[in-house]
Amino acid sequence: MKYQVTHITRYEYQQRASLCHNLVYQVPVDHTFQEVKKINYQIQPEPRLLAMREDFFGNKFIYFSIEEFHRKLSVEIKSNVEIAEPAWIKADPKATMPWENVVIWLRSAEADNDIRQFYLESAHIRFVDEIRDYTLQSFMPGRPVMEAMLDLNSRIFSDFDFTPGFTDISTRVEDVFLHKKGVCQDFAHFSLACLRSVGLAARYVSGYIETIPPPGKPKLFGADASHAWIALYIPDLGWTEFDATNNLLVNDRHVRTAFGRDFADVTPLKGIVYSGAGQRMIVNVDVRRME
Amino acid sequence: MIETYLQQAGNTASPFFDELAAPGGKVREHWKKLAHAYDELGIEKMEQRSREISQELRDNGVTYNVYSDPDGINRPWKLDPVPMVFSQQEWETIERGLTQRAELLNLILTDIYGDRRLIKEGFIPFDLVFTHKGFLRQADKIKIPGKFQLIQYSADLVRGPLGKIWVLHDRTDAPSGAGYTLENRAAMTRVFPDLIRENQVRKISSYYQTLKNTLTKLTLQNKENPRVVLLSPGTANETYFEHAYLASSLGITLVFGQDLTVSDGYVWLKTLRGLEKVDVIVRRVDDIFCDPLEFFSQSHLGVVGLMEAIRQKKVTVINPLGCRILENPGLMAFLPRLCRHLLNEELILPSVATWWCGHEKERKYVFDNLPFLIVRSTYRNNEAPLYIGSELSKKQIEELKKEINTRPYLYVAQEVVNLSTTPSLIDNNLEASNAIFRSYVVADTEKQVYHVMQGGLSRSFPAKNGFIISNQSGGISKDTWVLGPLPQHPPQQPASQQPLRQVKNILPSRTGESLFWLGRYLDRAVSNVRMMRIVLKIYNERDDEIHPETDQTLVILLKSLSALTGTLPGFAAEDQVKLTQPERELLSLAVETGRPGTLAQSLQSFLINGYAVRDRLSLDTWRILDSISEELELMKENGNNLHKIYHNLDQFIIKLMAFIGLNNDNMTRASSWRLLNTGRFLEQAMNTCTILQSALAIEVKPDVEKQLMELVLMSHESLVTYRYLYRSTLQMQGVLNLLLINEDNPKSVAFLISKIDEHLKQLPDNNSEGGLSPARKKLLEALTMIRLCDVNKLVMPDAEGDLSKKHLHDFLHHLITTLGQASGVIYESYFSPTQSQYSFVKSNNPLPEL
Repeated sequence: MKYQVTHITRYEYQQRASLCHNLVYQVPVDHTFQEVKKINYQIQPEPRLLAMREDFFGNKFIYFSIEEFHRKLSVEIKSNVEIAEPAWIKADPKATMPWENVVIWLRSAEADNDIRQFYLESAHIRFVDEIRDYTLQSFMPGRPVMEAMLDLNSRIFSDFDFTPGFTDISTRVEDVFLHKKGVCQDFAHFSLACLRSVGLAARYVSGYIETIPPPGKPKLFGADASHAWIALYIPDLGWTEFDATNNLLVNDRHVRTAFGRDFADVTPLKGIVYSGAGQRMIVNVDVRRME
Repeated sequence: MIETYLQQAGNTASPFFDELAAPGGKVREHWKKLAHAYDELGIEKMEQRSREISQELRDNGVTYNVYSDPDGINRPWKLDPVPMVFSQQEWETIERGLTQRAELLNLILTDIYGDRRLIKEGFIPFDLVFTHKGFLRQADKIKIPGKFQLIQYSADLVRGPLGKIWVLHDRTDAPSGAGYTLENRAAMTRVFPDLIRENQVRKISSYYQTLKNTLTKLTLQNKENPRVVLLSPGTANETYFEHAYLASSLGITLVFGQDLTVSDGYVWLKTLRGLEKVDVIVRRVDDIFCDPLEFFSQSHLGVVGLMEAIRQKKVTVINPLGCRILENPGLMAFLPRLCRHLLNEELILPSVATWWCGHEKERKYVFDNLPFLIVRSTYRNNEAPLYIGSELSKKQIEELKKEINTRPYLYVAQEVVNLSTTPSLIDNNLEASNAIFRSYVVADTEKQVYHVMQGGLSRSFPAKNGFIISNQSGGISKDTWVLGPLPQHPPQQPASQQPLRQVKNILPSRTGESLFWLGRYLDRAVSNVRMMRIVLKIYNERDDEIHPETDQTLVILLKSLSALTGTLPGFAAEDQVKLTQPERELLSLAVETGRPGTLAQSLQSFLINGYAVRDRLSLDTWRILDSISEELELMKENGNNLHKIYHNLDQFIIKLMAFIGLNNDNMTRASSWRLLNTGRFLEQAMNTCTILQSALAIEVKPDVEKQLMELVLMSHESLVTYRYLYRSTLQMQGVLNLLLINEDNPKSVAFLISKIDEHLKQLPDNNSEGGLSPARKKLLEALTMIRLCDVNKLVMPDAEGDLSKKHLHDFLHHLITTLGQASGVIYESYFSPTQSQYSFVKSNNPLPEL
């Protein structure tokens, strides 16, 4: 599938700002099942300095600074990507390794540290007994790991309500579990908390998903949003992606921008600005199917 | 004295190893000379020397701050007259051990942020590193040129019951104490010159020379004339004294985060002359506080974009960000094997016995032996709990075990040890106290070796079984003496001497701002004290209670005091109670620190600004600041007694004048002096106008007016001048002439304004293209107003016979407004505008839990 993704972030400052430094994690990455054909970015006002960098996890990010007075900041990233059907779509969930064996394998000398780092706690992910108990209802003894994960995915989907505005990025995963409400970030964080609590390695994926407008309605520009889901490490299949918000095994409608331990590693736009007062943010995302 | 000590510490039943006393009550060989000298001196002389040391340190302003201490920010630094002593022979081992450990840690650090082979090959468990908050992923693959990544290293050493030296902590992020060590040695040298000579105590100065040399060599860009700065968290930091002291000892610029900015990928220092490139930053700010963009977003101590400047190799930060990973005590358990693997040597200095809970076998050992162990987090911060196995209840043990089982890699257990004891002079007695010694190691980039300071900072604590080693607060510091001549082999030449070069005097804008405010508050305090003295004099002279109608002079002076101190309405509120019983308000105007405008508050602000620029003030000046601070405390104690306060006021005048005199005498006529005086004269000019306006520009009976004129002249120390100049009775025209217009009189507003203008003319001008700067234009406006005014017209009643002196009042009002505008323009032209730092991402969690 081919997509054109447009991600526009606008900041309006209450008072003029004299200086800002920013990190942008919105650049789609090449990946086994994703090829980035073209990237354009436009930042207003023109940055004094801009550099494309790679982080610890292999993600691309942009550093830029603006050193003139400004009242508005706009970051627009446009990319064309082509997504192939991932190999895991054809995998038989029942034929995957029992999940306990995956846990043991992860702790063996065979597993790479680049994978193992994702079974540890991180800024947003803590081991919580109650979350572990919830997970074990899907991860029954001896159950194939992918089958158990699909079950967990659909339980999260049906037990949790997608409720914008109830949480923000500082909401703890324990509270998300308590109220069973949140947005895609919370669904992803909760999935990670579940998987890591039983000893599996799972990482956060940020990106976009194509949304289909209601029948007969035109698709509106900017109606999409940035999205988040997770990838579970399954030996033989590699990082296998699941989207609890939509109860999906990720196929070719998800565009990936970054991988990390959780949101904190891949915050789409971080910035420190010097001004006399606070700011307001508006985000527009559009994911458009090409051809 | 020594005999008593030997009986106490040399007792074979003592659970401690004693530094001085060998078992059986003998003095150890390397202590003999000292012990003999102490016996000769006797306890009384020792106490006296101890007082001399305290005096010396106090005179030098050596302090540390206690964050949580609400009463004043400075505590005197305490130094025991009895040093920690190492024999030549033992030091040889310690020095080799420290060098080896620094080499080892340097290799480990290079690997952790490089290929991580040690982790891949199993020499270091991956989760020991990956779960530690000191492992900064942003710093991955960043190297400074050359083999040294770890530039400064400190180890805390202790001695166990069998006399063996152990490493208690490795300090690699921003180790502190080297400045205090230098002050300790200076004080000891002053008080015990003979003992230092006779015992051949080694000098510590080569450490600082090597440090300085290394810092200048680490520049990446500007090799000719590198700019090195010391980044301090600020005046509130507990070791701020040392930051200021080290910066001036090393001849580098002391800066705070807000003084630096990143632009074009470079780090710049905001100075009065504009931006100056910074090449090397020695940081005393903790790792994650250094750049709010990439680390802790709520930090205001760092520099936004610093990490990117490091990535671009435009600046070198010492120690590099990420070094804190080496402070992980779990690493200690793996050092012996790593040492064999990396250096092919046995580890010379063992660490205190440490078990990292991340491995099952060790965890089991820890659980089985909890009563003999302490358990702590692998990450050191103030909140990290410390569990003393023997003090835990059954329930607490279960909880701790569960926690460790959940996150085993975050915990280590360490053996509870009985630290050695060493004599300390406490309450007229030599007492055996536990001691910890902090060593200092710096990379010598020229000789490509680590250089160990021949001494260090020791601390002693009341002796206790199983001393809890994390509790480092409190205690008394000790100088550390390494005895005997330097070994001949590596000739300890001080690092190659740079030719003396006059460094361009750099004044960070923030420092300039503090100097400006120092001047403003200085003269605010002076005017305030003078006016208050006069008010109190009149108040004390009255016969009985105050009748506002008849005691008009006093009432006007009280109102004038409210105007001068900016505490209106105050006495001007026409509140009869306040006017008839003014004591309460007067006391408040003197001592209330929390109320803007009071004398106490002006003095406090004066001291705070003085503290912020202490690296720019001479030692003697600093002593005066200290004595003003003491006087302020005395005045606060007199908080309910106006008579006693009157005496404090006299003292303040003397001390404030001494401060002014000393600065005029020994501050070079550079920008810093000019800004101080700009602040002073601006304040003075505005205060004079305010007094003239509130005390003289009003309608009163002629006899009251006379009295007021006399008092106003007195408050400006100008009565004698007036009599000398006019030789007549007091007349309003004469008074105004003298205090406003006469440009030969250093007290006149016109004189003060032209002085300010002279200073501004000499300060760098970044704003105007030729012509007068906006600030100087404003001053010229004020000066012209005065020069063109007609005094007679100002004081004459107008056509309707109005005696209210409206013209004078309006004129002074206009003048004060113009001077206020000038102050604003000066402020904007030279100092950074107040903008706040905002983060896009909300964070309510300063240190994300891992």
